[in-house]
Formats: sequence, structure tokens, C-alpha cells
Amino acid sequence: MIDFCSRKLLIVVLCLPLLAACGNGKQDEAPAQSRNAPLINKDGSTVLRRGNGAEPETLDPHRAQSVNSSNILRDIYEGLVSEAPDGELVPGAAARWEISEDLRTYTFYLREEAHWSNGEPVTAADFVYGLRRCVDPATGSVYAEILTPIENAKVIIAGEAAPETLGVKALSDHVLEIRLKAPTPYFLGLLAHSSAYPAHQASVEKHGDQFTQPGNHVSNGAYQITDWVVASHITLERNPHYWDNDNSGVDVVKYLPIENAESEFKRYLAGELDMTSTLPIPQIEWAQKNLPQDYQKYPFLGVYYYGLNLTRAPFKDNPELRRALSLALDREIITEKVTRGDQIPAYSWVPPGVSDYQPAEASFAGWSREKRIEEARRLYREAGYSDENPLEVELRYNTSEGHKKIATAIASMWKTTLGAKVVMVNEEWKVFLQNVNTKKVTQVYRSGWIGDYNDANTFLELMHSKFGLNGTGYSNPQYDAYLDAASHESDINRRRELMHQAEQVLLEDMPVIPIYHYVGTRLVKPYIKGFVGNIMGHFYSKHLSIRATAGAGDAQTAGMQ
Amino acid sequence: MLAYAVKRALGAIPTLFILLTLAFFLIRLAPGGPFDAERQLPPEIEANLNQKYHLDEPLYQQYGRYLWDIARGDFGPSFQYRDLTVNQLIADGFPVSLRLGLMSLLFALFFGVMLGTLAALRQNSAADYGLMTVAMLGVSIPNYVLAPLMILVFAVYQGWLPAGGLGGWQNYVMPVLALGTAMMAYIARLTRGSMIEVLRSNFIRTARAKGLPLRLLLFRHALPAAMVPVVSFLGPATAGIITGSVVIETIFGIPGLGRYFVQGALNRDYTLVMGVVLFYGMLIIVFNFIVDLLYAWLDPRVKYA
Repeated sequence: MIDFCSRKLLIVVLCLPLLAACGNGKQDEAPAQSRNAPLINKDGSTVLRRGNGAEPETLDPHRAQSVNSSNILRDIYEGLVSEAPDGELVPGAAARWEISEDLRTYTFYLREEAHWSNGEPVTAADFVYGLRRCVDPATGSVYAEILTPIENAKVIIAGEAAPETLGVKALSDHVLEIRLKAPTPYFLGLLAHSSAYPAHQASVEKHGDQFTQPGNHVSNGAYQITDWVVASHITLERNPHYWDNDNSGVDVVKYLPIENAESEFKRYLAGELDMTSTLPIPQIEWAQKNLPQDYQKYPFLGVYYYGLNLTRAPFKDNPELRRALSLALDREIITEKVTRGDQIPAYSWVPPGVSDYQPAEASFAGWSREKRIEEARRLYREAGYSDENPLEVELRYNTSEGHKKIATAIASMWKTTLGAKVVMVNEEWKVFLQNVNTKKVTQVYRSGWIGDYNDANTFLELMHSKFGLNGTGYSNPQYDAYLDAASHESDINRRRELMHQAEQVLLEDMPVIPIYHYVGTRLVKPYIKGFVGNIMGHFYSKHLSIRATAGAGDAQTAGMQ
Repeated sequence: MLAYAVKRALGAIPTLFILLTLAFFLIRLAPGGPFDAERQLPPEIEANLNQKYHLDEPLYQQYGRYLWDIARGDFGPSFQYRDLTVNQLIADGFPVSLRLGLMSLLFALFFGVMLGTLAALRQNSAADYGLMTVAMLGVSIPNYVLAPLMILVFAVYQGWLPAGGLGGWQNYVMPVLALGTAMMAYIARLTRGSMIEVLRSNFIRTARAKGLPLRLLLFRHALPAAMVPVVSFLGPATAGIITGSVVIETIFGIPGLGRYFVQGALNRDYTLVMGVVLFYGMLIIVFNFIVDLLYAWLDPRVKYA
């Protein structure tokens, strides 16, 4: 008996690795067709399964800060202003609005047919409550600063005035007035941000920190939360009282928090996801070739850059050196050979495609590679460095294969072109952040910035000497003056001109070296209708629907999940 | 016996206290804080958050407060998952991790002991060499290599099993294999070694001479004696399962407790890290106690008083 058992087992055990090896041989084949079918519940409702990066830190619109949280919040809430699939601003909870002549008073007329998920009407008071709650220091909102164009917001955030003094007022149940401290051309765009969402006062006050839990949560968007299993999934179902249900797409949305991009990619291939949140860089080429119908690429409002610490040597008072380092980079090589994700080499600080603005370009953008190298060497010598006295500099980046590859390429470009000695320093994220913020040890550090709203200001204000986030310590009164003037300018053309001048000053001073502008890449199943790439990377589930061409037999049933 | 259990339980308290103290001060030593982010907080709001979570108090005061909360079973609010408390996170995650861990352990024990015994019975045969080679491979392949490979083969190419998430039993197959294989291989090698020794011992020779059937000989006499080294391995094995689950849960997207270990530390989620450390500390102490009881049951020479 043992003889028989052992022989049979031995065969099975020895075959296991062989089986694995068999699978390996098929690496280039696309996954089987049957797994490319949409998920349709037994009752006929369509399900959209979205990969969503990490677990959202909260579903409280006024305390959220991550992209993962915002994605879900856009589905369950609706601001006064909303966004169309292509990112254009469209009326949301407000059907229309009027802007006063001095551009400082906005009057919003709310839709009378808009309702919370519990059936109560959405009123101007709900928006007053939401906006006050966001700027109230007791809420601890990370993004409250985004509301500073509103009268008194800044002093309330600083705890120097009561939240009731905020420049918002309910003129009637459905008329809301917002007063600004200065004309702000991008203000409507801010209202589509989660910080400006309304809140349902009764449920927030009743449940405290737990008001976001399914069963407690009352929201005014196209969907409502019905299930939340931390680190597993968040399920949203249609809000039956949403005013625009007739024009909304899928019935159920399932958000899956999958931090690891490779895991997400594999689950997509296995047919467990309809849409990924990203695409691992090493898989981009494969996806372009093998899944051309699924592969989606769109310009994305973000810049990847290297910051230079201007508060200490060697970059303090040394614009020549900063320019030399920027000139010595071959950005095309970085995007074509290193990142290989169709990113756009960056010669401006503000990404192209931003609303109503043409980014300024660095003076050397049109030069040949030889001319750049020649100028880089000249500036390097002018800054006091030579082969005998080479620049020794530390380049810091946070732990990530991608950042490391880019840093390695850049270090070698600086070495071969200028002869600089670059020490690469890898740091864990929080350690890295602390070093960048305190400016005590950093010299060169990698960074990136994703626009919060579609206006050049979201990039330019970053380098304002008064802005909280400025790891370079850059402070040029002329730059600040241009930006300050732009923020008070009511003439759109003049404002654009001022911002352009500010960007030019920045590119001359070069406290930051822009490397590339982001593109968004993700996989979306061909049976998903209505996906349009947009520069903000905002994809509302209500705009997506599932094409009904798949026969009933092809569709997966919920039971299989 | 009861006295022994009480003694062990009392002995665990200082161990846990030291563990807690070390965890508390080590995580505070790490640079950066829970609210550090790329977009820095306005100072007023940061001050407000620090006050809300008592981070503005002197460290010894925070430590005292934490001990007092723990004594009452309150692990505090999570800094990262702001809508949830650490108690909620552990209560949700632990059952999942426990199921996964137990299944992996049982899988490893069952197959490890079986294969090890088979190899021992046919010592130095082709079967023995074959099994031990496979076992060596099993020990050498890290789970973070095995897991993605399995996903590729069984989920992406074959479509037999789901690639991740948690639903039915199918979702457990690959994680259990990935988590249990190395342990199974190690147990197989351990069992083989100790079984060969036991089979050569006098009492087995006597039993054979009396004409006992192989089945009885194995299960009644040889196996319990050969299990002693395997049982001692179970202590470290549990620790291995816990650290292994950190990787496996992330790769397979399983909502267990293991991933909070790493994420909590990376996010400087002080309360979550300490909660998970303390919880796992208790778990390991309990498990070691069970292992000690198993010893006494398997080996009549071992007595606890």
C-alpha cells in the first residue's frame, strides 16, 4: 500500500514544477477570451470593478487627501460644479450660477430635484455646513487651504476667526452665495474638489468619526456606499434619489484597493477587474502590443522634477550650477529609454494642456544636444568647478525601482557630461519627506507634483516663498510679485501674461529641474463604454457603462465572484 | 497542570510589557510622523491634529496614556485609516489571517509529515532522493517568487483560480500553497531525519520482531516519537507564518492583519503598529504554550509541574 501511495505521490510532486514550467512557455499569449466578459448580477444590474491603488484613508470629503479617496468621493458626492467625461466643468448640484461684475460674488441656484441618498432635498444650508466644516480647524482638513480664495477662509483655518464668519450664505433653501476675497478665475474648478462638497449635518453630528460607514453614510452623488471591507473592497450602489439617474451608467461600482501595480495588472488579465488604476512601467510595451483595445493613454496634469535645496551649498546663490545641471540632462533619453511610458520631456514647469495657459519654455528647449552640453560645461566652469575640482553632490530619492532607475541615469549624465561626482541616497518615504522639508541635509531630491485643479496656479504657487510646500527654499521677490499680481488680476489675458512671466523667472532661476510631464496609462476593458482620458485623471463611474453586446452566456454571474 | 498554566500566563506579562515598551519607543525614534505628507499641513491644522491625538504631550505622558488605554483593551484610533480604530482593524483582519495561517499550517504538517515518512521508509532510494530534492527546492524558493508565479500560471494563463481578493474557497488555494510550501518542505526534511533515527531504535526493532503490521508500527509507535522535533519547529513556524503573511496578503490582496504590520510602520501609524505587535506577541506566547503542552503529550518523559 505504501509502495503504491509513494509512487503516485512522487509523480504528482515531481510534476508540479513541470506544470509551472509549461505555463511559462505561453508568456506571450493573451489571456483566454472567456475571461473578458463583464460582470452582471443575477438581477441584471451591471457591475464595474475598478482597481483603486491603496485603501482610502477616509471617505470623509473634508479630511480626504489621497487620489484613492477622491476617486470614490467623486462617485458618492456631488459638488456645486461637476465635471464632464473630458474634464470640462459642468453644472452639478447647482443648475446655474451668476458671477458679479467685480468677480467676487458667486450666486448658485441649486437644483430643486437634487436629493440626499436618504431622500431629503439638498439645500444651500448643506453646502454652507460643508464649507464651514472644511475650514474649521477642528476638522483637521488637509486640503482646507484650497478654499482660501473664499472670504475669511485663511483666518478661520489659522484659528483666528469662527467658521461662521466664512463668506458663504444661504439666501434661501436653494440659493447660495459665496464671496471671494479677490477675483479667482479658477474658483469654479475648486468647487468640483472634495473639499467643497456638502455634508449631511444630521448624520455627521449623530455618528461622529463613523459617519462614513455603510448604513450611517448619507451622500448626494450618483452612488451610495453599501459595503466596506477594509483592504478588500468598497461597494457602491445607485443612490435611488439622485437627480440624474436616467443618464447614469453602471448600477454597481466595486472599488478594489490593490497597492501593488503588478498584482493589479494580473488581476485585470485574469478578468477580475474592468479598469486598472495604473499600469506597471515594465508592462506598458507588452500592453500596447497585446491589448491595444484596452490600453488607454492620456496627458495628465503632473510634473516629475528634481528639487535643489537653495538654502545651503552648493546650490545657494549659484544659478550657473543649477542651469548647468539642467542643461546636462538628456530628457529624451530618460523618457525613451528609462521610463518608457510615453512621458513628455519637460522644458516647462507647468505641464502642457493646462486650461487657458501656454507654458513658458526654458531658453534652451530648442537647442541641439551639442549646444546644450557646451553651455552646460561653460556654466559648470563658471560656477567654479573643473575636472580637478569636481562637484560632489548627493541625490536623494524615496524607495522605488522607478525613481532609482531615473536617478541612476541622471547621475551618469552629470558624470559623463560635467564630471560631477554624484552620491545616490535612497530613503524611506517618511524619512525622505522630513529631510526635504527641514532642508538640513538635502541637496538634490526627486519630487513630483500633480495638479489639484486645472489651472497653472496649482503649479506656480508651489514655488511661492509663502507656500507651505517649498522644499527648495526658493524665494524671489519678483516671482512672488508676479504671482501676487496674477491672483488679484480680474483681466484674464493680463493674468495669463503675469503667470507666464512668473514661470519664465522660475525657469531662469532653476530652483527645480523639470524632467518630464506625466501621462496617465491604464487598462480599460473594451466592453466599458464612455471612457474618455482627461488631463485631471478624474473618471466618474456614472459616465461609464457596460456594453450590452456580450451575450448572456458570456457574462460572468455574480455567483462566480 | 493548572498551576503551570497560571505560571506561564503570569510570566507572559513582563514579556508583553517589554515588547510594548520597545515597540512604543522604537517607532517614535523613526524620523517622520503620521501627518507628514508631500503636501505639508498648515501649522495650525497640524497643531490641531497633534492635540486631537495627544501627540503634543511629552513622550512619557503619551506612554502612560497608552499603557492605561491598553490595560482597558483600547488600542486607540488609527492614524492612517481615520474612520476606524485599531480594535476594528484587528477584529476585521485577524479572522482572515487566522484562517489563512491555520490552513497553511495544516497543509504543511499533513503533507510534510507524509512525505517525510515516505522518504524515511525508502531511505536512499530514488523516491527518497526525488522527494528530498523537491523539498530542498521548496525550502529555497521564497514565497514572493512562488506567489506571483502561481498567479501567472493558475490565474492568468489557465484561469483555474482567482488571482486575488477574498471570496470563496478558491481564493485560499494559492495563498495557502504559497505560505505553506516552504514550511512543508522543511517539515518533510525534519520528519525524514527523525523518522530514520526512530526506525532504527530498539523499541521499533522489538515491535517489528513481534510481527506488528507496518501500519500499526508507524502510526502507534514511530510517528509520535518522530514528531518531537517537528513540534519544536512549530513555534518558529508560527512566527514564519506571521511574517510570511505580510508578503502573501499584499500579493493576493487579502484583507488580513499581516499587511498592517508593514503599512502601519511605513505610514508611522503608531497605534496600528503597536496594536499589531502586541496582538501578535500575545499570539506567539499562546502558541508556544500549546506547543509545550503537545510535548508532554507526545513524550512521556516530559512532565510539567
